[in-house]
Amino acid sequence: MSVFSDLLYGLGVALTPVNMGVAVIGLVLGTAIGVLPGLGGTNGIALLLPLTFTLKPTSAIILLASVYWGAIFGGAITAILFNIPGEPWSVATTFDGYPLAKQGKPGVALTAAFTSSFIGALVSIVLFTFFAPPLADLALRFGPPENFAVFLLAFATFAGLGGGDPAKTILMTLLGLLLATVGFDIVTGQPRMHFGVVALQGGINFVVIAIGLFGLGEILLTVEEGLRLEGIRARLGFRDVWETWRLFPRYVTTLVRSTILGFWIGVLPGTGATPASFMSYGMARQFSKHPERFGRGEVEGVVAPETAAHAAGIGALLPMVTLGIPGSPTAAVMLAGFFIWGLNPGALLFKEQREFVWGLIGSMYTANLIGVLLVLTLVPVFAAINRIPFGILAPLIVIFSSIGAYATNNQILDLWLMLGAGVAGYLFKKLDYPLAPLVVALVLGDMTEQALRQSLIMGQGSPAIFFTRPIALLFVLASAVLFLLPAYRALRRARNPGGQAAAGAADRT
Amino acid sequence: MHRAGQAMALALVASAILLLREAVRLPVAWTPTGPGSGFFPTVLAIGLAFNAILILLKSLQAAPAADRPFLPPGAWKPLLAAFLPMVAVVALIDYLGLYLGGGLYLAGYTRFVGRHRPVTIVLVSVVIPLALFLIFERWFLLLLPKGVILEYLLYRR
Repeated sequence: MSVFSDLLYGLGVALTPVNMGVAVIGLVLGTAIGVLPGLGGTNGIALLLPLTFTLKPTSAIILLASVYWGAIFGGAITAILFNIPGEPWSVATTFDGYPLAKQGKPGVALTAAFTSSFIGALVSIVLFTFFAPPLADLALRFGPPENFAVFLLAFATFAGLGGGDPAKTILMTLLGLLLATVGFDIVTGQPRMHFGVVALQGGINFVVIAIGLFGLGEILLTVEEGLRLEGIRARLGFRDVWETWRLFPRYVTTLVRSTILGFWIGVLPGTGATPASFMSYGMARQFSKHPERFGRGEVEGVVAPETAAHAAGIGALLPMVTLGIPGSPTAAVMLAGFFIWGLNPGALLFKEQREFVWGLIGSMYTANLIGVLLVLTLVPVFAAINRIPFGILAPLIVIFSSIGAYATNNQILDLWLMLGAGVAGYLFKKLDYPLAPLVVALVLGDMTEQALRQSLIMGQGSPAIFFTRPIALLFVLASAVLFLLPAYRALRRARNPGGQAAAGAADRT
Repeated sequence: MHRAGQAMALALVASAILLLREAVRLPVAWTPTGPGSGFFPTVLAIGLAFNAILILLKSLQAAPAADRPFLPPGAWKPLLAAFLPMVAVVALIDYLGLYLGGGLYLAGYTRFVGRHRPVTIVLVSVVIPLALFLIFERWFLLLLPKGVILEYLLYRR
């Protein structure tokens, strides 16, 4: 039972006044960074890195990790209240979080986001504590074919949905993947698909597109619907917190599935919290009894991405600590800190730097507990923002969107791209084209193409490689089932005359 | 609504063709480094064209009897009142920077669209840009566009 004694020792390290203080500072800073669009956990940590030289390595990593946890909590706040992602991984939280806030339930959405984020974190930390080395080994066995199959499954979860026109979903996925190909080719470095526009050679950042599609597009839809100048009567106080907690037993399966999925996606090198949150949202919708409620203010649609995002945040630290391979961009910045502090990540770290490793693990428990209590006490304050009249809120959203879009690449062109995406988002939404698959495809596009091309190189041009490796085959088969589900449903409807009338009615809307 | 749906499907078919033309200019077939850089975009663009044509055909078949207008009557007015300032603010940020341009936009929008009291207008359009300036430029050292006037005032250039 040496793990338990190590853990107790680590908690002891984390509970020293210095480390507790550092964690609280990190959490407050991180939450602020998370709330502000354009300021991400990654650049927040990069900015703080020089400040950590004066601290002991253990306190330094606790500070940086706490900023990361804070940013994960904070990103959800902007997503729910303003419909713009404060952080890339909170894009999926806007899908149902903002509709909930618009219905006057911002407190419910915020509580659901914070609580599920915390649960995802806690379970992941337990997994981290007890299974770090074997999981790291398993992650290394995931090659390009397995990764491609996982991405395929992510797209399939969005395509195989009950409601909506499957052709439109597939079209939006393909469009997102195509937008992701703009810029430098990841394998050969050749600029491509830029239509002669030099500024496009840098590629199209999904944050810019997501901000336009959701933030600006939604403003246009809202003013058209006539909800113009009055603020939303949001209920304030802690009643929302209790009432949302009472709903949680219902979401046990979603929580478990999202945690495991998120943690695993986080452990895989190069992925991180953003794809995890999207895949988890897609899965939750796929397994739900009421997929049609998603996107209209379903609490489960907030629970799933938030759980996975935080679980992935924890998971991303696992290969970093055990193997020295960062699981996410943010982890990569933290890894830079390891070298600056004179530490060598890898298997020996656990043996040689007991205080550092177990102090970090211990602080994950304490910092996330402090973090969730901190943000939960602020729920009424955040919810009050929803009472701001729309005549003030709308221009504020536009300003925050502009900051977020500009700060991703520091170029003005992105503001025009955002505006274009806003118009496109408005038109697409009015004409029943789903927006989520486009954003998911844009996020996963580069990784998908890289995995596909590397797999084909491994198989010397033959796609058989996806069918000869058992793990890859499993995911490919699962995706095939999900892709064929709409076709099967349509066929059944065609055979059943009552169903045909219903299908006809659905076509007209 | 049907017209709009058909126009959108048509626009998507056209974009698919444009994207395909851009993709086939790249090496599509097998190269010494595996599939060429045009392979993935070409496959995707063909798929896009196929789906767009499918949606176009479906929208042409739809029954015109059950149609409703794309915009509810009179809705274009508030829509433009929100959209045109959006275009203006991007142009303003380009020229006057985020703080001055954004402040002007906030003042204009709260005055003419929101019709708020003068106190509210001044508070929103002065305090928020100032707070953003301190947060981004001073504390987090994240430089946002400042525009010609602020650049001159701050750095004399």
